[in-house]
Amino acid sequence: MEKFGKSQSVKRVEDIRFLTGHGRYVDDIAPDGALRAYVLRSTIAHGVIEALDVADARAADGVHMVLTLGDLEAAGVGVALQATVVTNRDGTKGAEPERPLLARDRVRFVGEPVAFIVADTLAQARDAAEMIELEIADLEAHVVVEPGGEMLHAEAPDNLAFDFGLGDEDAVTAALDTAAHVIKVPVDDNRVIVNSMEPRGCYAEPEGADRLHVSVNGQGVWGTRDKVAAMLGLDKAQVRATNPDVGGGFGMKAMDYPETLLTAYAARALGRAVAWMSDRSEAMQSDNAGRDLNSVATLGFDADHRLVAYRVDTIANMGAYNSEYAQPIQTELFSKVLPGVYDLQAVYMRTRGVYTNTTQVDAYRGAGRPEAIFVLERAMDAAAREMGVDPFELRRINFIRPDQFPYTSATGQPYDVGDFDRVLTRVMAEAKVAGFEERRDEAAARGKLRGLGLCYYIESILGDPAETARVDFEEDGRVAIYVGTQSNGQGHETVFAQFLADHTGIPADRIRVVQGDSDLIAKGGGTGGSRSVTVQNTATLATVAAMVEGFTAFLADAEGVPASDVGFDDERFRIAGSNLTPTMLEVADMARAAGRDDLLSVSKRTKLDNRSFPNGAHVAEVEIDPETGVVTVERYTVIDDFGNLINPMLAEGQVHGGVVQGLGQALTERVVYDEDGQLLTASFMDYGMPRADDVPMMYFDTEATPSLYNPMGMKGCGEAGTVGALAAVTNAVQDAVWSRGIREVQMPFTPHRVWQMLRQAAA
Amino acid sequence: MYEFEMTRPTTIADAAKALGDEDAQALGGGQTLIPTLKQRLAMPSALVSLGAIPEMKGVCMSDAGEVCVGGATPHAVVAAEATAYPGLAGLAAHIGDPAVRNRGTVGGSLANNDPSACYPAAALASGATIVTNTREIAADDYFQGMFSTALEDGEIITEVRFPVPEVSHYEKFVQPASRFALVGVMVAKFADGVRVAVTGASEDGVYRWTEAEAALSASFSADALADLAVSGDGMISDLHGSGDYRAHLVKVMTGRAVAKAA
Ligand SMILES: Cc1cc2nc3c(=O)[nH]c(=O)nc-3n(C[C@H](O)[C@H](O)[C@H](O)COP(=O)(O)OP(=O)(O)OC[C@H]3O[C@@H](n4cnc5c(N)ncnc54)[C@H](O)[C@@H]3O)c2cc1C
Repeated sequence: MEKFGKSQSVKRVEDIRFLTGHGRYVDDIAPDGALRAYVLRSTIAHGVIEALDVADARAADGVHMVLTLGDLEAAGVGVALQATVVTNRDGTKGAEPERPLLARDRVRFVGEPVAFIVADTLAQARDAAEMIELEIADLEAHVVVEPGGEMLHAEAPDNLAFDFGLGDEDAVTAALDTAAHVIKVPVDDNRVIVNSMEPRGCYAEPEGADRLHVSVNGQGVWGTRDKVAAMLGLDKAQVRATNPDVGGGFGMKAMDYPETLLTAYAARALGRAVAWMSDRSEAMQSDNAGRDLNSVATLGFDADHRLVAYRVDTIANMGAYNSEYAQPIQTELFSKVLPGVYDLQAVYMRTRGVYTNTTQVDAYRGAGRPEAIFVLERAMDAAAREMGVDPFELRRINFIRPDQFPYTSATGQPYDVGDFDRVLTRVMAEAKVAGFEERRDEAAARGKLRGLGLCYYIESILGDPAETARVDFEEDGRVAIYVGTQSNGQGHETVFAQFLADHTGIPADRIRVVQGDSDLIAKGGGTGGSRSVTVQNTATLATVAAMVEGFTAFLADAEGVPASDVGFDDERFRIAGSNLTPTMLEVADMARAAGRDDLLSVSKRTKLDNRSFPNGAHVAEVEIDPETGVVTVERYTVIDDFGNLINPMLAEGQVHGGVVQGLGQALTERVVYDEDGQLLTASFMDYGMPRADDVPMMYFDTEATPSLYNPMGMKGCGEAGTVGALAAVTNAVQDAVWSRGIREVQMPFTPHRVWQMLRQAAA
Repeated sequence: MYEFEMTRPTTIADAAKALGDEDAQALGGGQTLIPTLKQRLAMPSALVSLGAIPEMKGVCMSDAGEVCVGGATPHAVVAAEATAYPGLAGLAAHIGDPAVRNRGTVGGSLANNDPSACYPAAALASGATIVTNTREIAADDYFQGMFSTALEDGEIITEVRFPVPEVSHYEKFVQPASRFALVGVMVAKFADGVRVAVTGASEDGVYRWTEAEAALSASFSADALADLAVSGDGMISDLHGSGDYRAHLVKVMTGRAVAKAA
């Protein structure tokens, strides 16, 4: 670890900017005089558009443009958003119904964009929107997450988006048939609204003679650039996409949305800057939602409680359309960690995707992996209870043992290292599992039900395995590092600068991190899949090596010594037989003076052959007030194996945030659509975000087994917290109510739902 | 938001005059009204801010020993200054968040009479007097169902006078998202009997739970409620709680309020 990253908890330099109101968020930096856009959205979940008359709106004060789908088509631009589809069990492709930028003839969810209005001011645009005559003949809404019901798309009979299968079904069936114990568990994974602190927004402006600049609060610029270019029939080089400061993405902002493309079109067509910003309720109705799937897990064990087979059948809600990456999430990405940390080769999963008259669903922190681990760890917990085995022990006897690595999982994942037993032993100590029964008795004396829950998770890091780093020595003595990742608030500016500083001796405050501009950075993978620090620092290391090599040759030349006499020790170059010990910045100055500009901008692209597999154990301890149904999390303990840590404080921060998102989903966040498809939880008055007082102090530490797949020995940590929290909390709630005869618990554990569960059990 | 005029009178008389205009509306702390305007759910032609009227601000004691709160006094001031009536100060201290408490006013809360608001429970349980620019209204006559009160158009709540009970407590069960009261119960024990006001629960808005008042007047202990039953009929039923749940909570919260009364 010494060499790669000094593992220091350096404080976040960007926070000064964010906390003092100097962040550059998209709505702060929209050009002066930009026209303002407003989206007229459907207030009906399912219906046929019988009339759409925008004439009055077009004539309204201050209005520059009103767009309907017909206008876009007449202009000859691309009108549909593309999406990745999966392969069905029968070899056919998943359904590909059109997702138009603005509604075509029908509306399919409340919040669907119908018309796009551009005016001098937002108030004028909204006034004009009220003048649009929109008549919709209602159709029956299909809201339950099941196949069937009123058909949304002709391409998807029974509203089935896909029917995906993976694994050896026959082998699993055979193993289950002869298993000593078979446990079947229904597991619901409730929908969440992502609620990034900063809602979505963008602006677009003509740049120069024939270029367009699109600025959006996304998770990477290159996809946006390509889509805008394709839609408008432009060359990629004619479009510049930027991501300024972004206030949270969580996967939700990784995808492109109609509003960005419509804003780009309007700016180009009008030859003026146009800006659009979502308000909160609009965000709740139109941002890609997360999770929303129901599964049934079936586990088979032999007489010694060793796993012999696992099957999971899932129905996943797609919402009304295929969002960009929706189909692969509860299928291919879910499969990555299907068998978790267990030594188990007979697995099978089947997932059916269904369309409903609800907002589209796509990636949300962890994207498929939290969902898979949640099902598995709920099932392991239920199995332990049913077989009368200690839940910690059941995990332990089924772990892949350290001597089995490298281990190819049943779904083909090349796990490199792991010491799950060590992590489990540590978490049991820190969570004081041994003293739990005493705490339970003490709670009972106060009239409270106390429960303890474990989740042992493993993560599979995703996203582009390749990344580029470019380091420029600038004339003013500062250094810029150009990165292909994108901070959404995680602290990249600090980490990337510090890492470069550690390896070059360049003071961190002389280093500027440049991100999110497709003109300045040719290619990059953005943020997602817990990839950023691993892939970016790997590229930085390669770039530093190239810098050292170039400067070494230069110095050797200048001093007339062989290159082998020149060394670099992370701080200074040292030359055998010379008192000269220049720093890297000093050598850069010498190179500049010598006209060697080729040494002053160095770029390397690296690709990791394999990703890392962070894993860990979360133990939650909850208390339930049976009189009111209120669930409180009293203790929360996390032991993670993230390999080597680059900045332990930021890693812990990621875990805190992830756990809170998990607690939120488990305890307070509940999305409710009524049977007509109206979203009843479309503001914070009804949608419960977790708050500081819902969250206990967390114990966090690591038990590292460094990854072999990257030079730093690190593992991604951005999504891990969420992956562990769902099952830990749910298992704790199950534990708490077990004594009341309750054998099935489903999130979210809002007071009313828990009270009803207890009351039904008592009846 | 639609366009509107805005005035900031400095006397009650000027405010009353400004509110005489058709479509003019009083603005207290704006914690309900401003969001409503932003959503374009209301379009007053003029807003008359009550925030610059000194005679409508502050907390004091009347000669009769009542805590008197100016109609434009923010919750945070009540929380800090109504020390003579800890039950009232405690209630104010748990409304919304600091930003809401620094702006939202007692007059705005009572005028709005949201079925989930806290102050109506305090006013009713205390037997408060709602003083307006034209008259005095007893709390028992003031609340007339959800979002409905005895106020006339343009009438301004200038002050609220709260008789101080011997002991009291407001027990609030928060709606998990908004943290308004899903059910809130104010129990106030006076020399001549106990008053119990329930907010958040009933489709008719805040009400007095008279059976509990009788039981608690006989014996001021949570056990005294044991034999009482609360029906779910007529209780609000929404995604945060069924009528039965609210009915159940009314009894639980009343018991807890009694136990904590000080
Ligand atoms: C996030 C949030 C959380 C909240 N949580 C709670 C809570 O937990 N408990 C709770 O009780 N409340 C809660 N509130 C409501 C808040 O406390 C205010 O009391 C309430 O919004 C109204 O007071 P206001 O002064 O802001 O009135 P405004 O919003 O300005 O006005 C509301 C209405 O009253 C009228 N009005 C205002 N002042 C007077 C007056 N003096 N005389 C006559 N009419 C008047 C206005 O014309 C308008 O119709 C919350 C509000 C928010 C935004």
